[in-house]
Amino acid sequence: MSQIEIKVPTVGESITEVTIGSWVKKDGDSVKRDEVICSLDSDKASFDVVSEADGVLRVKAQEGDVLPIGGLICVIETSVEVASAPASAPAPVTSTPAPVAVASVAPATAAKVVEMKVPTVGESVTEVTIASWNKKDGDTVQLDEVLCELESDKATFELPAEAAGVLRIVAEAGSTLSIGAVICKIEVGAGSAAAPAPVAEAPQSNGQVVSANASNDSYAAGHPSPAAAKILAEKGIDPASVAGSGVGGRLTKEDAIAAQPKAAPTATPVEQPKAPVAPPVAPAPAPKAADARGQRRVKMTSLRKTIARRLVAVKNETAMLTTFNEVDMKPIMDLRAKYKDKFKEKHGVGLGFMSFFTRACAVALQEFPVVNAFIDGDEVVYNDFSDISIAVSTERGLVVPVVRNAEKMTFSQIEKEIIRLAGLARDNKLTIDQMQGGTFTITNGGIFGSMLSTPIINAPQAAILGMHNIVERAVVVNGEIVIRPIMYVALSYDHRTIDGRDSVSFLVRVKQLLEDPTRLLLEV
Amino acid sequence: MQYDVIVIGSGPGGYICAIRCAQLGLKTAIIEKYKTLGGTCLNVGCIPSKALLDSSEHYYNASHTFAEHGIQLENLKVDLAQMIARKSEVVNQVCKGVEFLMKKNKIDVYQGLGSFVDKNTVKVTKEGGDIEMITSKNIVIATGSKPSSLPGVTIDKKRIITSTEALQLNEIPKHLIVIGAGVIGAELGSVYARIGAKVSFVEYASAMIPTMDATMGKELQRTVKKLGADFYFSHKVKTVENTGDEVIVTAENPKGELVTFTGDYCLMSVGRKPYTDGLALENAGLAADQRGKIEVDEHTLQTKVPNIYAIGDVIRGAMLAHKAEEEGVFVAETIVGQKPHINYLLIPNVVYTWPEVAGVGYTEDELKAKGIAYKTGSFPFKALGRARASMDIDGTVKVLAHKETDEILGAHIIGPRAADMIAEAVVAMEYRASAEDVSRMSHAHPTYTEAFKEACLAATGNRALNA
Repeated sequence: MSQIEIKVPTVGESITEVTIGSWVKKDGDSVKRDEVICSLDSDKASFDVVSEADGVLRVKAQEGDVLPIGGLICVIETSVEVASAPASAPAPVTSTPAPVAVASVAPATAAKVVEMKVPTVGESVTEVTIASWNKKDGDTVQLDEVLCELESDKATFELPAEAAGVLRIVAEAGSTLSIGAVICKIEVGAGSAAAPAPVAEAPQSNGQVVSANASNDSYAAGHPSPAAAKILAEKGIDPASVAGSGVGGRLTKEDAIAAQPKAAPTATPVEQPKAPVAPPVAPAPAPKAADARGQRRVKMTSLRKTIARRLVAVKNETAMLTTFNEVDMKPIMDLRAKYKDKFKEKHGVGLGFMSFFTRACAVALQEFPVVNAFIDGDEVVYNDFSDISIAVSTERGLVVPVVRNAEKMTFSQIEKEIIRLAGLARDNKLTIDQMQGGTFTITNGGIFGSMLSTPIINAPQAAILGMHNIVERAVVVNGEIVIRPIMYVALSYDHRTIDGRDSVSFLVRVKQLLEDPTRLLLEV
Repeated sequence: MQYDVIVIGSGPGGYICAIRCAQLGLKTAIIEKYKTLGGTCLNVGCIPSKALLDSSEHYYNASHTFAEHGIQLENLKVDLAQMIARKSEVVNQVCKGVEFLMKKNKIDVYQGLGSFVDKNTVKVTKEGGDIEMITSKNIVIATGSKPSSLPGVTIDKKRIITSTEALQLNEIPKHLIVIGAGVIGAELGSVYARIGAKVSFVEYASAMIPTMDATMGKELQRTVKKLGADFYFSHKVKTVENTGDEVIVTAENPKGELVTFTGDYCLMSVGRKPYTDGLALENAGLAADQRGKIEVDEHTLQTKVPNIYAIGDVIRGAMLAHKAEEEGVFVAETIVGQKPHINYLLIPNVVYTWPEVAGVGYTEDELKAKGIAYKTGSFPFKALGRARASMDIDGTVKVLAHKETDEILGAHIIGPRAADMIAEAVVAMEYRASAEDVSRMSHAHPTYTEAFKEACLAATGNRALNA
């Protein structure tokens, strides 16, 4: 048996740490080469980690752990016997534990005690607090069952049992422990013969419990039925993130209908009903009752936590200021009305507002290079190109893919690129490369109805343009009051490098280019 | 006219796609070159061949097994003209049914040859030469396939015939030479063997139905042999010649010697090729590949022109009516933004001989090639009460399951109503059932499907109860 260590790969120059988003495979599972085993979140994107070999997975970092680049994620134990089978075989791995095996293996190694310690959860975290115990001292616990919840200044995470056996709690809830301190002990073997029983799954009918397949850990766990597969695909939910209530953990149509995108990925699997005679439908999630004044606690996803942290950091670390102006959208709307069909016919994409705004910003950025610059230590880095980040709202949170060299692109190229990037964003397929390196950002709160806002800079960039919705306003043109479609625009900027003169002039220039788009053509 | 979807071709892929589009609220048109709707399947494929298969099977049973049942018949003979006429009536009724479905779903039917003008416009050239232009946001190519031939062999449709002609012969061949012992050859060869023709199969591969599990080919050969058919495997056909009253087939045998076969009809059943003639694909920016197939995106069935989709026999995968149907529904749902599901591994393969052959999932050879550890369980129909009672004792059920997990990976059935029984395997496998799961479900007794349960028991731990 040999071991292959899987470490956090280098994922982009500005990224120094990643968070373990979710494990697709469990500790002890057989995995195949190139099979996805877990997902990592960084502040920019999520990506999948694939197994580098066939073998048995040994998880070294838990969901929510923050690891530096190069940090150890897991170990794959490749068994020598497997070598005889061709590589593509779906793991006739012998050496390990079909889930059923756990109980029977245990008694053989009885009386062994596993000490569980506070895991390393990120380089800057030195201590954690025990938020709550899910199990009581003396309880029988299963491998991977969540024992307690730990909190650090960065994140909350769950501590799964490293072995099956009887729990002996060392540190009580509320106590603060340093990394490496003992939290609890598990007496492996003691009483574990009875271990599988307390989970008592409320089976469909009595008398069938004997079947090994009743375990939720069967090979088919998480396999969606055809109808469930369709529903999940349409909701954009990875079947691996849904708990199956069907035989052997299969995903039923009902599971798929009830599944919520990315809500509490591994919420503790079904609080055990008091009476084991619970009705068969016990595990139904059903937070439906409309009139109940209920509360729900849903753990923040790693991405959401990172967004939160970064937004606060930007507010604290920059001298952010916002300037406003208004744009008469009539010329653009007239132009669109006139050429919309021809444009679509010729280029195969619609002529939207985004191409006008992107072009206008790209031109203005060339004229006011400081708005397109960023601070690096004691230096200001100026960019000769306009790589414009476009904020896209997805179900997972805000992402900002970059339209590169916008200053050289035509309207149709910009529209196509935005559609392409937004599509990737919706499908969760954006790569880190596609999201980093932007020099300026455009965000459009208008699509949700916002009239005025002060957007927060997308650090390390120095400025962001906020678009808003278009409303009819009475304005004075050539001494006459007329009704015009007006959009308020906002430019938030980092006052440390950009002076009021530049920021205001920049925004005025954008306004000019939008109110008279021919200027874009004539470059005046 | 402006449509949301135009479907070109009204076979089982095309007409099902059109119905699903209409159900989803899309304004839909369908174009058919031939006078009747339904394509190959309804007109010259599945339906008429099944009609003749059943007729010939009744005759065969009447002449061979009725006496044993205690039914005496005298002067039994085949009225081929009536047999063909009944077949035509069946086809007629089914095609009318499709016409009704088009009306019911408010689908506009254009009769004529559809060809692309550009990626959104299709020209319909009617029989008299009249032309009509229709445009659509989306277009689905569902033009199916045609029988193919061997290089150097010309099909004259008189003595050297394809499946199409074999469905309307006006005499029973004395000696029918069938080139190709695949699905179509096996089906039509057995039709004529049952009603008295001498049938010789000349096949390039080393067994019947070579794409299916090897056990099935061997079993099928055994039962077709009982009809008096001869088999010449590993024979490479060189020439086929119509001399007027006879056909002479020359082939190279495995030893490299030339052998000749003389018969009065030769059925070319060496497969089918995608049919895109007259579509003017180039006007839409498309082209067929060397084998005549249209390339599509694996996940969406879109061609490289995004608003044009292709389904069924013109794209990759098995040329099966039910595969085309699934793809038709798939495309319709994809167009409206849904994300439908097709598991190509679980599209069953069927041969409608008697006994029927049906298979789904991996074959034993495929599992070996993939290095997947598996176990098998078989159950012969002769051990089944129902099969005994009905005198349908030929055949067997073979279940392949994963060695460790017991998951069913393949099911192969040769036996009575295998084509219907395979559905149980498909359902089980869609849900990734283990062999034990199936063997713990109640099966009515006495039925043929008990054989599937018994085979699963055999796979689970060699626990078949009636073997």
